[in-house]
Amino acid sequence: MSVSLGGILALGAGYLAMVFLCALAVERGWVPPRLIRHPGVYSLSLGVYASAWAVYGSVELASRIGYGYLAYYLGVSGAFLLVPVMLVPIQRLARTYQLASLADLFAFRFRSRWVGTLITLITLLAILPLLALQLKTFGDAIHRLTGAGSPIMLALILCLPIALLAIMFGARHSHLPVRHDTLLAAIAVESLVKLAAMLALGGVALYGVFDGPNDLQQWLTGPGLDLQARVARLETGQWRTLLMLFFAAAFLMPHMFHMTFTETPSRRALLQTGWSFPLYLLLMALPVPLILWAAQRLGIDTSASGAAYLAFDISTSPWVDGLAFIAGLAAASGTLIIVALALAGMVLNHLVLVAHPPGNRPNLYRWLLWLRRGLIVAVILGAWLFYRTVGIKHDLADLGLTAFVGIAQCLPGLLAILYWPGANRKGMVCGLVAGSTLWLLGLWLPLVADYSPLVLVPPGLDWLRDEPPWYAVTLIALYANILIFILVSLVTRTSEGERAAAEACSVDAVIRPKRLPLTARTGEDFKPLLAEALGSEVAEREVESALAALNLSSRDGRPYALRRLRDRIQANLSGLMGPSVAQDIVDRFLPYQSRSQATDDIHFVESRLEAYRSRFTGLARELDGLRRHHRRTLARLPIGLCIFDDDGELLMWNEALSRLSAVDGESIIGSHRDDLPAPWAELLARMHDEPHAYLYKQAVALASELRYLTLHKAVLDPEEGDRGAVVILVEDHSELKWLEDELLHSERLASIGRLAAGVAHEIGNPITGISSLVQNLRYDTEDPQVLESAEQIQQLTQRVSRIVGSLVGFAHGGRHVQGTRFVPVELRRLSDEALHLIRLARSGEDIIYDNFCPPGLKVMGDAQRLLQVLINLIGNARDASAPGSRVTLDASAREEWVLLSVTDEGHGIDESIRDRLFEPFTTTKPPGEGTGLGLPLVYSILREHHGDIQISSPPPDQTFGTRITLWLPRTLQDDSNADEPDSDR
Amino acid sequence: MYIYRIMLFLVFGGYLLSPQLMSGWVEPGAAWYRPFLIWGGLIALSVWLEQKRKLDER
Repeated sequence: MSVSLGGILALGAGYLAMVFLCALAVERGWVPPRLIRHPGVYSLSLGVYASAWAVYGSVELASRIGYGYLAYYLGVSGAFLLVPVMLVPIQRLARTYQLASLADLFAFRFRSRWVGTLITLITLLAILPLLALQLKTFGDAIHRLTGAGSPIMLALILCLPIALLAIMFGARHSHLPVRHDTLLAAIAVESLVKLAAMLALGGVALYGVFDGPNDLQQWLTGPGLDLQARVARLETGQWRTLLMLFFAAAFLMPHMFHMTFTETPSRRALLQTGWSFPLYLLLMALPVPLILWAAQRLGIDTSASGAAYLAFDISTSPWVDGLAFIAGLAAASGTLIIVALALAGMVLNHLVLVAHPPGNRPNLYRWLLWLRRGLIVAVILGAWLFYRTVGIKHDLADLGLTAFVGIAQCLPGLLAILYWPGANRKGMVCGLVAGSTLWLLGLWLPLVADYSPLVLVPPGLDWLRDEPPWYAVTLIALYANILIFILVSLVTRTSEGERAAAEACSVDAVIRPKRLPLTARTGEDFKPLLAEALGSEVAEREVESALAALNLSSRDGRPYALRRLRDRIQANLSGLMGPSVAQDIVDRFLPYQSRSQATDDIHFVESRLEAYRSRFTGLARELDGLRRHHRRTLARLPIGLCIFDDDGELLMWNEALSRLSAVDGESIIGSHRDDLPAPWAELLARMHDEPHAYLYKQAVALASELRYLTLHKAVLDPEEGDRGAVVILVEDHSELKWLEDELLHSERLASIGRLAAGVAHEIGNPITGISSLVQNLRYDTEDPQVLESAEQIQQLTQRVSRIVGSLVGFAHGGRHVQGTRFVPVELRRLSDEALHLIRLARSGEDIIYDNFCPPGLKVMGDAQRLLQVLINLIGNARDASAPGSRVTLDASAREEWVLLSVTDEGHGIDESIRDRLFEPFTTTKPPGEGTGLGLPLVYSILREHHGDIQISSPPPDQTFGTRITLWLPRTLQDDSNADEPDSDR
Repeated sequence: MYIYRIMLFLVFGGYLLSPQLMSGWVEPGAAWYRPFLIWGGLIALSVWLEQKRKLDER
């Protein structure tokens, strides 16, 4: 006895304190969250599977059946290699419906609270031997190390800190499915410690007892060969049965279900366990035979009853004893904590709450929390009592195998949940009761009551009488279970509720969830309804929590949204009180409208298909690809498209329609047509009721402006069991409408223009007459005043002739009169004349005109046409100017160009029409005052002169007004006679 | 999904053939670490399939 009792208890207390501090560090945020949520930490936490059986029981088993001990590790490794096929579907179910235990899953699938109760009872009976095994190893290990103390009392001492740790880090919330980072981290640390301790023990055996791997191999093929030959070999059937038992334990054991499905940080982390957890188990299994062989090498009798604790004998060092003790303590404490948590939840949801529904009680959350904590303590004390009365008398293998065979009775039911939608409650219960009864009679009761196993061997299987009881009971119980399950399921009727749940659970079922409208109209209505069951405070909190999780508004009245809200509330209540109670509450207080006809929930089906996309193969994958292609085509169609179901529920609102309406499809899909935002509800209802298949150019006031929409409708009649639908296409014809209006306007103006040209032609004749008469008058008088008047009349008649000529020219395609010769034109004289003519007009008399054009600056051009340009521009400037403001003309030379500018201080040009100024009929003047032909004419003339025009409004050196700058080709040629603006053409 | 089928095939195939494997492990003269080597190989295969699955589902 190398270690004192006080010392070993201090070591144990120190270890548990270290685990507590690690968990505390995580809770206080001293450890980076990224590290806690790393998939590796989750994989380590699954090491809770490696209980005290893995540390002590495996050595005992290896001493009896050699490599057969590996079944414990290989069975569960096989289950984790099938993570994507088996564990991910269960995890998805557990997460979606907030199912925290095997009993929750069974109660949800088979739609019966009694099924949950039955599973809880069987799990409770099955797990007690396993819990007793953990306590037994602790008490026995200390007793073996120290020779002092009673193993039973030592085990009781362990119960206290275990219960405290379980409550502190696993029962902080009333919702069981809430992830506990602290718990996850604590269990991961425990797994790491036991792995390190086991590897260290293996190292001691390999290099302390043997002289390395080669020495071990030589011993095995030499002196150790006889010892190995004496070890019994497992028969093929027994080996396979063991593998199957441990395979089932991977997801049926309450602690494994809890860690694998409730504490999963992400799907990615779960998928990674497919190789990381088997690797962990490989490392845990590796030292087991090394310890056994080392003990054999040292001459220790490994066939004696204490073979489980051989690790304490391979060295005389207290450090090695301490390592073996810590490995066992880490394994036992982790399993005890998680099993206690999981079982407490199961007992609460499926025994306590079923017997005493919570009702409308104040402080419901607190009541549930304390109930759960009390149950954790009760489970641990129950385990101790079982150990004290039963476990103390049996070895580890008997206790462990009884537990694993018992829990395996749930395997047929679980496989049916995933792969057999036809299974029903009656079949499952009959099979489970039959299998469990055979197990109780064959293994559990003999353990408790200490009598010979009662193995009921059916006729024809007499060979089983000679087999070990665990093997015979496993085969008979499971065969009976499966056979009865299948037969009863086939001959009895499955309820609608079960069928729906089976579809939700089944991996390959054709999921066609039905939808019914709820009696509640909005999310807000849920609160008073639920308050009847839960009290107003809890109801408010649950509804708000579900709304927040779904990112919905409490005023959202979409049937689809309300159904999702109801499902979410049911799932959340399931996490709080178990699926049975949760279903009772929502069925009673959040009912569907009873007179409505159930229809397929296509939107939900689509979201499910999207979620399961990666799992399709072959034809299903092809079909899904085709579905996605068609959906994408509709979604990205450049024309607005919406689809309504027969009952007016919106199924699709594509991207083009979202852009046109400025309403996001996600926010309204699932709404009824009448609940759509204005003006869509009224417009689409009108289209729906319209006998014709179209509505042409409907004026619709959208947020920004008036738009003209054309709607087309296609009614899809129901066929082959599929429901009908109404497809509506929405085309925006606003541009087309505006173009049509513009065309009509232009046509009207063109008619006026043709009329004006005709009138102008008619005016030409009298003007010619006036011109001739003025010529005569000039010859007939010498009165200077009369001569000046005659001169001015002559100029004006010439101008009228030019205007008439230009108007006719514009009417004939905007070309000026042919035959004009470009000559040097002096801008100063040209601008003076333009101003002179402008001043003759009565309007604009109070405008100040400044002409800063320098004399001598010339351009090449047609003086008449350029004069017309200037008159137009100055006239525009005058019309835009307020009385008393200035209109300035200026000119300057720049290389081969002359820049002539007309600047006013008027109201400027509106930006919206600036780009269209040179288009005909564009005007800034009030209706009736401008034709919109002036600037197009100016532009046309400038293009004839190879010049350009530039508009600044306002000019850079002014805060208002407009400056129009003409770029004209400069000439240096001096031809003073050629630039006479009044020259006749 | 094809990878899932490979895994199913591996696990159930291994389950059926495991007695034969086990009899090989305990042959006199066999290396003591042989079962762990086979197990390690299976884990390596699982890692490879996991990488393939990620690529397949990307």
